Amino acid sequence: MSADPAQLLTVDGVTAGYGASEEILKGTSLRVAPGEIVSIIGPNGAGKSTLLKTIAGLVQARKGSIVIGGTDVTTEGALGRARHGIGFVPQERNVFGAMSVADNLEISGFQDPTQVKRRAEELYERYPMLAQKRGALARTLSGGQRQILAMAMGLMNAPSLLLLDEPTAGLSPRAAEELFEAIVALNRGGLPILMVEQHALEALEISTRGYVLVAGRNSREGPGPALATDPEIRRLFLGG
Amino acid sequence: MTLILQAVINGLMTGTLIAVPAIGFSAIFAVLRYPNFAIASYATIGAFAAWWANAILGLPVIPAIAIAFLITGCIGVGAEETALKRLRGNGALIVAIASIALNLVLENIVRFIFGNDMKGYDLPLLRDIRFGDLRIGPQQLQSLALAVVIMAVMFLFLRYTRFGKAMRAVADNPDLARLKGIDPARIAIVTVFLGAGLAGVGGVLIGLDTSIDPLTGYRVLLSVFAAAVLGGLGSIPGAVVGALALGIAEELALIVVPATYRTAVGFVAILIMLTFRPRGILGERAA
Ligand SMILES: Nc1ncnc2c1ncn2[C@@H]1O[C@H](COP(=O)(O)OP(=O)(O)O)[C@@H](O)[C@H]1O
Ligand SMILES: [Mg+2]
Repeated sequence: MSADPAQLLTVDGVTAGYGASEEILKGTSLRVAPGEIVSIIGPNGAGKSTLLKTIAGLVQARKGSIVIGGTDVTTEGALGRARHGIGFVPQERNVFGAMSVADNLEISGFQDPTQVKRRAEELYERYPMLAQKRGALARTLSGGQRQILAMAMGLMNAPSLLLLDEPTAGLSPRAAEELFEAIVALNRGGLPILMVEQHALEALEISTRGYVLVAGRNSREGPGPALATDPEIRRLFLGG
Repeated sequence: MTLILQAVINGLMTGTLIAVPAIGFSAIFAVLRYPNFAIASYATIGAFAAWWANAILGLPVIPAIAIAFLITGCIGVGAEETALKRLRGNGALIVAIASIALNLVLENIVRFIFGNDMKGYDLPLLRDIRFGDLRIGPQQLQSLALAVVIMAVMFLFLRYTRFGKAMRAVADNPDLARLKGIDPARIAIVTVFLGAGLAGVGGVLIGLDTSIDPLTGYRVLLSVFAAAVLGGLGSIPGAVVGALALGIAEELALIVVPATYRTAVGFVAILIMLTFRPRGILGERAA
């Protein structure tokens, strides 16, 4: 696959799965350009989380290619992808529960210890709640607070692309809305974001583009707001 | 009453000494997820390394302990990288069994080099300190103080240093650690170095009180393992609490049962713990 310099991330025909079991991703493709918010939506079990894990290097692609910023990283593991600027906030277990908020941030900037202090201070300024809770153990945070911490941790290595897996899962509508606002604010600051969301329509509305993933294959794609008003998508995701 | 108090004091003493290798065992378990029974031979190697530094080279006890720490740390890393590492993909049980085999090999290397005889450290003979009817040996007291200092350093390391925090992160969630740019393989090496080093120091502290021979480590292996299980496998504070609890339980049991049953206390403790609270006293997750 030739690398398209206009793209930040190019996933091309990727198949992947767990252990010896059959493939979960059956030839999935997507791309993210600089400055975009891209959403992946789809039914439960479609392979959305698997796709993000494969991009982050926690699951190895069996076929196809993954190119980040012009470099083919298909064969690299999670460490290598992190070095190439991928920040991934998993859906579950995305903070170190037995460590304080401050330690969670510090440890998330492990790659570049000289920058840890400065970046943590920036994040405390951006998210004052974290500053208030900096001594609290991560497992004592509320769901919304924990998601903010997880996202802040994802920013500690100064990624060039942030992957978010269901950042609003389990949050109250208010907390979910605040988190969407935080995501949009990050993106306005120039950070491209690729996210998976259950709140499909809300996510599409703030997205540059969206992909619909069904059973490990691309189904639909298009500009976010257009997908959000598409009758077929509305029927699928507004309960029907 | 004095009998019980003396037993508790003795128990705290032996417990504190056992806690040092138990921390090593637990640290390795927490990060590498397998029980490394070769720490028995690491303790023996540490005891002999310090004996060599102390009785042959004439160094005082504390530098001898530092040498024992470095030598066993390096041997631990060497054994891990050459023998155990390649088996890690096959599950904890396989590595655990391999560590028992490794233990036999290392133990017999010590036997080959130093022989089977008991050896004693070159220490000044001091009288026991008495408080009324209670007796405490000055050497025991020094070992106790050393063990406490070593544990305090380990706690500070885990709590406040970058590598210590990275160790806790890998123990908690290796995938998340990787996403943050922490290489679990590198952290594993640091952990094995510290764990084996602590086992080595434990061997010295235990030997200082009596004498050493190629089975020094093997004799305390069950207690070390029981302490780690009691406290919750993989929990470092748990290993300390478990070791103290076990030490006291062993000494108290000796009041009513003959000394030959001492190790049975360890077995019974493991059995009771695994039956009623498999996660241990302080354990957070099931092993
Ligand atoms: N760690 C895993 N091991 C084995 N199978 C898994 C694992 N994680 C997810 N799966 C399976 O992969 C499929 C897709 O899961 P996932 O990617 O989490 O879907 P989604 O995020 O779209 O809901 C599901 O059938 C799920 O059971
Ligand atoms: Mg998912």
